[in-house]
Amino acid sequence: MSVTAFVTAALAAVAIVASRGLRQRAQAVVLPVATGVLLLALWHLWAESTRYEIATPGEPVRTVEVFPTPERTLVAFRELLSDGRLLRYSIASLFRVAVGFLLAAAIGIPLGLWAGWSTRASYSINPFVQALRPISPLAWIPIATLTFGIRDEAAIFIIFLGSFFPIVTGTMSAVRSMPVAYVRSAHNFGLRKFELLAHVVFPAALPQIITSLRIALGVAWLVIVAAEMNAIQSGLGFLIVDARNMGMRYDLVVAAMLVIGAIGIGLDFLVRRLERIDSVRWGFTKE
Amino acid sequence: MTQHAQGGTHFQPERFGDFPTMKEALIARKLDATFMIVPLAMKLVADGVPVKIVYLGHRDGSALTVAIDSPVKDFTELAGKRVAIPSRYSNQHLLMRRMMKLRGMDQGSIELVEMPPPEMPGALAAKAIEGYIVGEPHNAKAELGGYGRVLYFMKDLWPQFISCGLVVRQEVINERPELVQELVRGIAASGLWLDDDDEALAIEHRRRASEVVGKVFYNQDPKLLEHVLTKPLERVSYSNLVPPKATFDEIMDLAVEMNVIGRRMAFEEYCDTRFAPDLGVLPRVTNFPPPPAASGTGAK
Repeated sequence: MSVTAFVTAALAAVAIVASRGLRQRAQAVVLPVATGVLLLALWHLWAESTRYEIATPGEPVRTVEVFPTPERTLVAFRELLSDGRLLRYSIASLFRVAVGFLLAAAIGIPLGLWAGWSTRASYSINPFVQALRPISPLAWIPIATLTFGIRDEAAIFIIFLGSFFPIVTGTMSAVRSMPVAYVRSAHNFGLRKFELLAHVVFPAALPQIITSLRIALGVAWLVIVAAEMNAIQSGLGFLIVDARNMGMRYDLVVAAMLVIGAIGIGLDFLVRRLERIDSVRWGFTKE
Repeated sequence: MTQHAQGGTHFQPERFGDFPTMKEALIARKLDATFMIVPLAMKLVADGVPVKIVYLGHRDGSALTVAIDSPVKDFTELAGKRVAIPSRYSNQHLLMRRMMKLRGMDQGSIELVEMPPPEMPGALAAKAIEGYIVGEPHNAKAELGGYGRVLYFMKDLWPQFISCGLVVRQEVINERPELVQELVRGIAASGLWLDDDDEALAIEHRRRASEVVGKVFYNQDPKLLEHVLTKPLERVSYSNLVPPKATFDEIMDLAVEMNVIGRRMAFEEYCDTRFAPDLGVLPRVTNFPPPPAASGTGAK
């Protein structure tokens, strides 16, 4: 057990408690940093606790590492960075997620608008959307392989499924919860059905649709590991699956996990920016 | 050996669906012994995981399967085609590379893709791959399903093929050698029983093994296992199970040459053959119990 890690963890814990006295803006910096340091120290201690020694007769005693420490993971991260895999695989994964997500939005938003607007459409579509929604994309992997083979399309299909259902459901409920007054006044202006959908219903529902897109993008990124599990030769999900297949490269697994998390934060940040655009804000939700 | 044997220690079998999970259980010391693809075991040792191969479970037992209507009649015709292998660290992979070498083909001429074995028959049926090379029962599945045919049994590609070895944690070897000894003796005795010199008896024994193993341990269709074990009998053999140094050296050389393992290791570094029993004095299996009523509980 390394003393340094214990001391670091203790110092971080003290900083968290002591930051109570600081001003709000200082706390906004101190708290995440201190919590991050605390988590790193705990990770290190936990990794160390999985180490064990083995004494084979006739051989020197040696220590066996089981779980990678943060330091080992950093080395693996540098390895991925310097041989270009990190960039290549991130782009491959982002490309698949972009295509799958955009397809899901392109089909899911119109379908959701329609099902939210027309009771008949809702009766026909809703039960099946709700029945398919809770099925994990993992369960679809064999079907994706049987349908698309072991190509990009199979991975994109899995991502599409992951984001399609939140988009349809979100859009549908956005339309349903729209104030009746909007529709009545639109009728008074003599708007036709399509104009009504395009110029009143869609913009009014847009803020909630964006929220559902945000959730859907999160899910799309979440399923990247599942999507890239099957014989796809690139991507961050593939990196995890591939590293698991190797002898002892769990440092690569953890490094890839952290990269997936970091990119996830980045994606969420971008969609949040989308929510702030003025033309989106006129909807009925209060911010 | 197990609850179905004549006394002794009860070794608890555990079924895993893929190699990585099994490997992780072994690394985390939640699993003491396992049958593992040989190059992966070598790789683990090279990476500092204290394990040793102490015995083999079987010989041959793999096949190269193609679609029933595939035009491929000879190994060289697989050039430009996509063939699934169970893992880069499988001897099936090394066999494919060895065959390409022997037939004077370019190392990249057959596109090899890694795929979890249970998904191979489906991928073949869906024409996502031209063929696959893997251990049973995944070849028999495609055969019995009517969409696959065996292009080669191992006797045609690499006779006495070694796929898996019995891998035991060094700690267990150090601390409980008598347990390892008992396990290996049990496996050796089972092998003798399944490979009885009298062919009719061997078939009879394998039939009974299919029933018990299928129902009690792995929830596999006994008909499928019977096909694997008896059609033909030499699809898999249970003799010559002491890890042979010459073959293992060849596997090691191939693995290093094909960049599967980083450094060449001496046989003793990853093998420990001291537990191999003298087959001549090994007690014979005599009262193999009848298959129990199907209770569906599976292995505990």
